[in-house]
Amino acid sequence: MTMLAMPDESLGVRLHAGARQLLQDQRPAEALPMLDRLARLPGLATAAALLRAEALAGLERLAEAEAAADLALAEDPEWSAARQLRARIRLARGAAKAAIDDAAAAVMATPWDPGAKALLGTALLEERLFDEAIWFLGEAMQAEPSHSGFRRRLGQAFMLAGRHAAAAEQFTQLLAAKPGEPGLAALQAQNALLSGDAEGAVAMARAGLGSGIAEASLHSVLAHALVAAGRMGEAAPHFAAAARLSPGNGYLAHLAAAATGEGTERATESYVAALFDGYAPRFEASLLSLGYRVPGLIRRMVERHCPAVAAGQERLGPVLDLGCGTGLVGVALADYLGGPLTGIDLSRGMLELAAAKQLYAGLHECEIGAFLQQGVPPQALIVAADVFIYFGRLEEVLGRCRAALAPDGMLIFSLERSEPYGPPWRLGPSGRYAHAPDYLARCLSEAGLVPVEQRMEDLRLETDHAVPGLLVLARPAPH
Amino acid sequence: MRCRDCSFLPGRRRTEMGAVAYRAGLEALRAGTPAEALAPLTATLDDPVHGEWARLNLGLALQALGRLAEAEGHLAMAMAALPDLAEPPFRLGTIAGLRGDPASAMALFRAALARDPAHIPAHAALAALTEEAGDRAAARALLETAHRLDASEPELILALARLALTEGNADAAREGAAQVLAMRPAHAAAARLFAEASLALGGMTAALAEVSACAEADPFAAGWALAGAWLREAAEGPAAALADLRTAQLLAPEVPEILAALGHALAGAERTAEAEATLRAAIAARPGDLDLRNRLATVLWKANRLSAMLDLLEAAIRDFGPHPTLLQNRALALNAIGEQEAALATAEAALAGGGVPALVNRIAVLPYHPEAGTAAGLRTAAEAIGQAMPLQAPLVVRRRLGEGRLRVGLLSGGLGQHPVGWLTLAGLEALPEVEFELFAYALKPRADPLAARFRARCARWREVGAMEDAAIAGLIAEDGIDILIEMGGYGEGGRPFVLQYRPAPVQLKWVGAQFSTLGLAGCDGILTDRWETPLGAEPHYTERLLRLPDGYVCYLPPPYAPPVTPLPALAADGVTFGCFNNLAKVTAPVLAAWARILAALPTARLMLRTHALGEATTRARVGERLARAGLPLGRVALEGGLPHRELLAAYGDIDIALDPFPYAGGLTVCEALWMGVPVLALAGDSFCGRHALSHLSNVGLADWVAGTADEYVTQAIARACDLDGLAALRQGLRGRVAASPLVDAPRFARALGGVLRQAWATAAR
Repeated sequence: MTMLAMPDESLGVRLHAGARQLLQDQRPAEALPMLDRLARLPGLATAAALLRAEALAGLERLAEAEAAADLALAEDPEWSAARQLRARIRLARGAAKAAIDDAAAAVMATPWDPGAKALLGTALLEERLFDEAIWFLGEAMQAEPSHSGFRRRLGQAFMLAGRHAAAAEQFTQLLAAKPGEPGLAALQAQNALLSGDAEGAVAMARAGLGSGIAEASLHSVLAHALVAAGRMGEAAPHFAAAARLSPGNGYLAHLAAAATGEGTERATESYVAALFDGYAPRFEASLLSLGYRVPGLIRRMVERHCPAVAAGQERLGPVLDLGCGTGLVGVALADYLGGPLTGIDLSRGMLELAAAKQLYAGLHECEIGAFLQQGVPPQALIVAADVFIYFGRLEEVLGRCRAALAPDGMLIFSLERSEPYGPPWRLGPSGRYAHAPDYLARCLSEAGLVPVEQRMEDLRLETDHAVPGLLVLARPAPH
Repeated sequence: MRCRDCSFLPGRRRTEMGAVAYRAGLEALRAGTPAEALAPLTATLDDPVHGEWARLNLGLALQALGRLAEAEGHLAMAMAALPDLAEPPFRLGTIAGLRGDPASAMALFRAALARDPAHIPAHAALAALTEEAGDRAAARALLETAHRLDASEPELILALARLALTEGNADAAREGAAQVLAMRPAHAAAARLFAEASLALGGMTAALAEVSACAEADPFAAGWALAGAWLREAAEGPAAALADLRTAQLLAPEVPEILAALGHALAGAERTAEAEATLRAAIAARPGDLDLRNRLATVLWKANRLSAMLDLLEAAIRDFGPHPTLLQNRALALNAIGEQEAALATAEAALAGGGVPALVNRIAVLPYHPEAGTAAGLRTAAEAIGQAMPLQAPLVVRRRLGEGRLRVGLLSGGLGQHPVGWLTLAGLEALPEVEFELFAYALKPRADPLAARFRARCARWREVGAMEDAAIAGLIAEDGIDILIEMGGYGEGGRPFVLQYRPAPVQLKWVGAQFSTLGLAGCDGILTDRWETPLGAEPHYTERLLRLPDGYVCYLPPPYAPPVTPLPALAADGVTFGCFNNLAKVTAPVLAAWARILAALPTARLMLRTHALGEATTRARVGERLARAGLPLGRVALEGGLPHRELLAAYGDIDIALDPFPYAGGLTVCEALWMGVPVLALAGDSFCGRHALSHLSNVGLADWVAGTADEYVTQAIARACDLDGLAALRQGLRGRVAASPLVDAPRFARALGGVLRQAWATAAR
């Protein structure tokens, strides 16, 4: 039998003190092995669990952090510090509702703690409960007016609630006190941009850069503001700088590649998800204001090719809505549906809005290729409205659609159109791909699909021009 | 195995006389407090009965305290007086080993074994040296003999296991190490060997998994945490080892080797304050560990604690002899404290046996030397390095010809808030991206606003500080770099030898310890200007001189620089001169000139401000030197460093900046000018002797540069008497600099782009 080393009497004290000090010094990784040992000492598992949750949260190992916080709370569910910690972890995991529960419990347990109130306000903000968020953040700030973090969150709450003047006041005050505070100049410019003052946002962001601040967020907001101001050419270097300062951010990498003309084969999943998550609540309004015509065009296409459905004599079988977004296609086809309507999207925010329409039998947060690959029952109709514009290569996705179609099924999709006989596809400065008609024909044929109808359509209006596109209906080729 | 640090008892003849003191000494040794043993043992040295034994034990106590030189004398006398005893020659052998004298050490270990063939530590020590000398078979024979004498001795098991690993038998090595860890769970060397053997057997991932499983099963054994630390350091560098090392240290606070490992890792991760405390504790516990001394010296260096560093090194040289690494570190410290003559002498003493590092060390101090630091002297020193580090087989995989966007690599540890950053960033940002794609090869991770701006400008960012020169060069070649710019030179953290692998078709030197030629065949050109290297300077450089039309750098004024203040002399009795350069630049001729200036101007004052002066002992040492040079200390202020913004604000107290020589100010000149303070300089002939001339000429103040020390003194006195002129100049100086080529980034970028294109075209031809 192997002899194991035994702990001495004061080891627990040493490990606890050592780990706490390291957490205070913001060195969570260095505390972890100590906490592993601390948890093994009799009677110290709960104390170790809380510190461990804090360390893991600091390392963004959020699932493990939440499990450790659960353990810490199992013994004392009213432990405010543990509740607050778990609320922060849940917020970071995108579970705002659960975070609200924890933060509210912390506020009840320690009503004198402005930190708990600020946390509750932050969680409410994530759930877009603006009035409540502003109330709790305001409470926290009143209790501790010099706390720049509280004021900053309050400013963000005003900004997201569309109260841009109130937000600007908070940000201006913060900048006066701490001009170099990370992220603040970017927030101020973002607030101006969201208020519709693109030129003002450009000026603020440029002033921030001029004062020596070099942050991804500042470059990003400047690039977006320049795009909004119609100055796409000036935006490219700032998208590039933002992407370089934020390696691993697919959203910025894609925009940078698009703006500088360096194409990739398709938009990254994180780009699409981030784009539409940020967009979700405003998506429909934004698309409608852009003159988004695709759902209506799809409906008319269905009517032309399924006269019995149009006449109300038959209904559509199972329908798959790829990249369903907020469910606009579901709305457009609602009265023709007979079988289940299934929606696929990368953006959780979008899917929640689609679910609210009560039209979809199933909604999946999933990448399209992966979803199709796992096998679906034969579909009467597959719709991909403005989805393939985030793909460069089309061969694979079309092949997978073909495999999911019933023998007499239909695939309807839209594309942005580029010049024929040039490159098969190009990535435009908007971050979307345009495809050449000859390339499309080749891909359809390779996938075993026959184009039944192909219409040149303007997909939507952008700033001052229409985006030329193609609307295609294809069926499986006869064997 | 007998404990090497315990006291040694006479086996016979005791008398009452002296016995009390003698016993007190032995008790102190046994209790692990050797310092307390010194007095009683010294008092017993003349005792007729206990004297020789007291001498032996005094030697042991001194050795335990790291006072090797003193220990040696006593041990030698004990060796003669106690001819049957193995311990004195064994102890003397370990001291010889520590001093890097393996031949003497082996002879002494053999002498110990002749006196006592069963002396196991002598077997083990002799085996280690025999193996180092390349005779594994003899080493194994020695160890096996000892192992037969004592089969349970963990040190012997470990030594045999280590030998097994060098013989390629990792299985046996791991087993042996595990056996030792079962007996001694906090045995640092066994833990390391376990990690090494495990790595050799299954690779990094499997080794880490194995060690983690052991730690999970046996959580309170420090050895597994230590093994994990060793693996993580091997994979990711010292910072990654800290978590496990800290835990190991808490699990086994009494083990000095763990403290030492933690100290090294903290120093490697640049946790300066904690590293110093831990290393000092480790040295107290392991006074015979030379590496700990050198490591603490580097920590003190980074903390600008030069006097403490010198004290430490001088004590270590007394104990360990003139070891080349100790001498090199001492040369750097002496230079940095402003004692250039002693620094160069020390650096030259380190050349014997010091190899290439000693040659680099010499050129690092040479440019500061008032007589030897000439352009010609620097070329000779640089070429000696070039000869010792010849070109390697070239790595360039392709040579792209013709036009198009050039891919430019920047190799530097200074891509951030560092002189390299302040003098290059603005120009690089203004280089058009469509023509020049930048790749960074960063030698030191930095996370400041300037570093972020470098990142924003560079299409690719590679942290290569932990890689070997050849691997960095391989990466550069793989990236298809067209022009590689080396920006670290022979300064701290520079990696100029990457050039010797020729990873890019065109390789240039720019900024970053740019004090002279590099003397390397791998360096094709040096970016310069007509003031740094006027026509005729060519013989001092092995590179082509690529002269930019204005200055060779572009200064980026800090956005947070405070406004220029009115001339302080208008509200004071006399002018205040200032020099904010480091002390390495403040030479004896500089002090002599300053003494003459202050003597001629009885109300004038001088303020020196630099980080090293923050240390009280350094301030006192420098003050003495100034007094010897004839400076009136009552009118001289010695001030420590300040955060950058406050440092700039401190120019508000200065009327005229006095530049040092022969190594002139660089960034310091730019900062003084931006803060409205004119700089009086003296131009030399080396590259670093002409920085001030370049910057001052670039802003139209070439007449502030003297050609001789007499002229420097005369001009300083004359300028100081013209307060109206000084006030007018100060008022307009920032505007003047702002309008000058020194900070005109677009203009500089056009010039730099032109020179790079030209270098490319020349290479293509």
